[in-house]
Amino acid sequence: MKIERRTFLQGFVGGSVALGLGYSGLRFFEIAPASASATLKENLFRTGHNTNCDGACGHLVHVVGEKVTFIEGASWGPNIDGQHLQNFKSRICLRGLSQMQNTYSPDRIKYPYRRVGPRGSGKFERITWDEATTLIAENFNNIQTKHGKESVWIAPYTGALSLLEGVIGASFRFASVIGASAGDFEGDNEGDSAGPAAFNYVLYDPNAPSNAGGLLDGHEYTDLINAKVIFLWANNIAETSIPDWRTVCDARNNGAKVVSIDPRYTPTAAGADLWVPIRPGTDTALINGMMNWIIQNKRYNAAYLLRYSVAPFLVHPKTKKFLKPKDINQGGGDKYLVFDEHDRRVKVFDDPGLVKPALLGSYQAGPFVAATAMQILANTLSKFTPELTSKITDVSPEKVEQLARLYVENSPAAIKCGFGLSHWHRGDLTHQALLTMATLGGNIGIQGGGVTIMSGALLSTAFSGLPNFWNPDGKKWVPLQPMDACDAMLQGKPHPVRAAWFMIDNYAQQMSDRNKVLKALNSLDFLVVSDYVLSATAELADVVLPACTYLEKSDLLGSFNFYLQYMPKVIEPLWESKSDLDAFGMVAKKMGVGQYFQKTPDDYIKEILAIGDPKAPDSVRGLTWEKLTSGAFRLNLPAPYVPFADKKFATKSGRIEFYVESLIPYEQEICDYKEPVEASPNNPLYKKYPLVFLSTHTRFRTHSQYANLPWLKEINNGGEGFLEINPVDASSRALETGDVVRIFNDRGEMKVRARLTEAIKPGVVNCYQGGWVTKQVKHYIEGHPNNLTHQIANPAQSIVPNFPSNAAYYDCLVQVEKVKA
Amino acid sequence: MTKRLGIAIDQNRCIGCWTCSVACKSINNEPLGIHWNRVLTSKPNENAPTRDPSSRAIDVPSGEFPNLQLAFQPTSCQHCANAPCEKVCPVGATFRRDDGAILVDFERCIGCRYCIAACPYGARSFTWEKGQYAHEFQVGYGQDYRSGARLVFTPERPVGVAEKCTFCVERVDAGKEPMCVEACPAGARIFGDLEDPRSELSIAIQQQSGRQLLAELGTEPNVFYLPVARPNKMRP
Repeated sequence: MKIERRTFLQGFVGGSVALGLGYSGLRFFEIAPASASATLKENLFRTGHNTNCDGACGHLVHVVGEKVTFIEGASWGPNIDGQHLQNFKSRICLRGLSQMQNTYSPDRIKYPYRRVGPRGSGKFERITWDEATTLIAENFNNIQTKHGKESVWIAPYTGALSLLEGVIGASFRFASVIGASAGDFEGDNEGDSAGPAAFNYVLYDPNAPSNAGGLLDGHEYTDLINAKVIFLWANNIAETSIPDWRTVCDARNNGAKVVSIDPRYTPTAAGADLWVPIRPGTDTALINGMMNWIIQNKRYNAAYLLRYSVAPFLVHPKTKKFLKPKDINQGGGDKYLVFDEHDRRVKVFDDPGLVKPALLGSYQAGPFVAATAMQILANTLSKFTPELTSKITDVSPEKVEQLARLYVENSPAAIKCGFGLSHWHRGDLTHQALLTMATLGGNIGIQGGGVTIMSGALLSTAFSGLPNFWNPDGKKWVPLQPMDACDAMLQGKPHPVRAAWFMIDNYAQQMSDRNKVLKALNSLDFLVVSDYVLSATAELADVVLPACTYLEKSDLLGSFNFYLQYMPKVIEPLWESKSDLDAFGMVAKKMGVGQYFQKTPDDYIKEILAIGDPKAPDSVRGLTWEKLTSGAFRLNLPAPYVPFADKKFATKSGRIEFYVESLIPYEQEICDYKEPVEASPNNPLYKKYPLVFLSTHTRFRTHSQYANLPWLKEINNGGEGFLEINPVDASSRALETGDVVRIFNDRGEMKVRARLTEAIKPGVVNCYQGGWVTKQVKHYIEGHPNNLTHQIANPAQSIVPNFPSNAAYYDCLVQVEKVKA
Repeated sequence: MTKRLGIAIDQNRCIGCWTCSVACKSINNEPLGIHWNRVLTSKPNENAPTRDPSSRAIDVPSGEFPNLQLAFQPTSCQHCANAPCEKVCPVGATFRRDDGAILVDFERCIGCRYCIAACPYGARSFTWEKGQYAHEFQVGYGQDYRSGARLVFTPERPVGVAEKCTFCVERVDAGKEPMCVEACPAGARIFGDLEDPRSELSIAIQQQSGRQLLAELGTEPNVFYLPVARPNKMRP
């Protein structure tokens, strides 16, 4: 016999007042029935979590019957060739643990839909997959005929990082075979590309074919254990890459000093030995101040600079390019020139008679007086005295010197950057400065050193079949980045875009300058969105397709660490959801290119990894399908992985080019500081909008994914967004915790409640990004942080084809005022 | 020799990520609003106020910008050797195993909630009505577990019983670690035998002067906190 207590109370007692003592005997009616699941067999699957937190955690998924009932961290195997080089700990965080809630979420899109009301009205009618894919094929065909092939944009894919259905995946293949435009290589160009761009200024020549338009490489996170000092630069690693924090602690136990540079007192800052609350956006000036101290006090690594960098190369005083013999004599060669202090003569850099190349100084070279690149760096940075640096950055002069000492007196020194550093108009310049400082310290290509944005270089070392997968029969997509897409939609520049297909990408709220984005999306003739939840973007779509979560399809996760994680289909797709690969196949067939989507996911993975091909790269030598699907094996690489360990740099000179010739037109050949484009007191707007507006990440979601999961909401203010503001800024606005505030600038506004905290620098406010703004779910009272941000791209980045434009989310000014609740 | 199960939580490593709490919630199928293990915000090496709602305002440090302090204190049943909850239970539902785990026999508990009033750590929860869950099906361990003959775990606790951390005895008895220990991404939890002076746990407590919460009450918790100690700490 079973009686619902609620029924009992309603019937016999009534009201909640009676919820006191005396009814507890009721429980005897309520003993739970013996668990049905106890009799069902439990199956275990190992998979990789392909979300874009970049964690690439391995998940051990428990399945009972047809249901996923538990997820925990999975184990990691040795290298493919059997060598066991490191103990890679099982890793998972609160987001990963909550994934079954995501898969079974009531917010899931269950069926294909067609819009029936006005765009954004949320009125849809259910249709079949056949009807949906016919609609897509017909509309794409019509629009391509009328406006050109590239007027269909196969949009980013930033929410997933797996191989087939993720930022480097099948969407590019589909775009190629229909001739469409596509964007966001590696998902970076919505705000994460400034750092990668700088790597391609300094460490790669982005125009060399072997660099494929721009690369990015980082130290395996386990290498932090080898550092003597760790600079967590704008990197709230303890919230955003939680499992990596373990290694930071291990390194700290080994005596490494941990520095957090951040305008906010984050859990990372609290866990660091030194917190530096910098004025946001002025990091380049701080780095320059540190470098100036290092140079003035001759604490740089001269041998390293001479051997591995362009430091000794002479620079043409007029063209500012590296001076070559041909500039001096007609018919002279094209080699770099240096000055030999031994016999005080100018020689080519590889002259066998070269004894002692000069690091600093200016020298007569033919008709010119030419300085070394190092001298130009020293000259440029000489103005960054501790005092000036302090004035710009709000970091005290003593602290500037202390940071410089920490960096050069502890070797190796690791710098780990958060993407917060990329969320600035001149984020590329900041990373250029960091790489320059790392060169001064002799820290690039060194165990425990380096500048790392994220771990992982699989693209270049394992996926040898990827170019053919992307470009079958030589067919190529037309690149169009997210930062350029709105102008393509609204103004037809650089070419018209009249239709778009988004996959697990919430462009309508996660892209900067949201009001512009909404205008652009609403101007489209046809919009398709595949997603697993009804996102703000899906709400605007003409056709909505129900996508799978990572548990419902086969794929491969091979990014952001050095392991290959096969992702088996753990459960059958729920409701009518389908993998995007299946969706592409249906649409491709109806567009006459079905032959490119006939294989199974497993077959594509085999091709891309060149399994069974004797010409497969060394990194995957010995890989078989049985091995790939039986655990997570590491590429055949030394551990921990250290990029540039061989000190070979794929630049024009083969050296570290902290002096960047191709940036001369942008007056950025040296990392001289420039003020933020908007968030600067020099900006006239500052009078009207005196607060720097950050929209940072929280541990409770990954961008907008998981923002509505009950387990994560209940420990995160019920899911309700808030504005962090320092009591100093609050008191001048008569604000108290809980007051509703309007945050606004010329581009838009949003409303949330204020939370007063000392953990944020005065003059800076923060509202965690990624809360939802759909018809059904609102995590902010009104609007979204991206109503306030802008799309002003830094033209310097355009020299790197893969990372040409960056959304500067944090380079943003606002005003805050109290409003009625 | 009898074991005495214990956990040390290293507050040097803990970053308040709540992974332990969500792992606990998941393996034990805890209803919404109930956390057997919750993460409180505290000053380093001070007890977090367990009943002050402000301690749930995570990441809010003490002090004034830029001289701030912040530490996190994951808090669940302390499995006290001198457990007030065990003493006040009028029906012997709360009991201690030989290995020190304090458990609730769900078939014996009468829901009087004396234990909830007695626990100085706020570690116990009580369901007044049928729990609301995030899933439509049971997640986690998924079966009843009996220690001796006593029902110490069941996926959906009946209405009107006290529930709390079980030390994951169903896992421990199978040779595994409690879920919070296994899941901690920072490696901040050490599980082991307090009676074994050579265990990693005993050594860590010994060397780092592990601290017990509200030790002055004489509850003798088997959960220890390794203090925040930063030899390299520099002023901001």
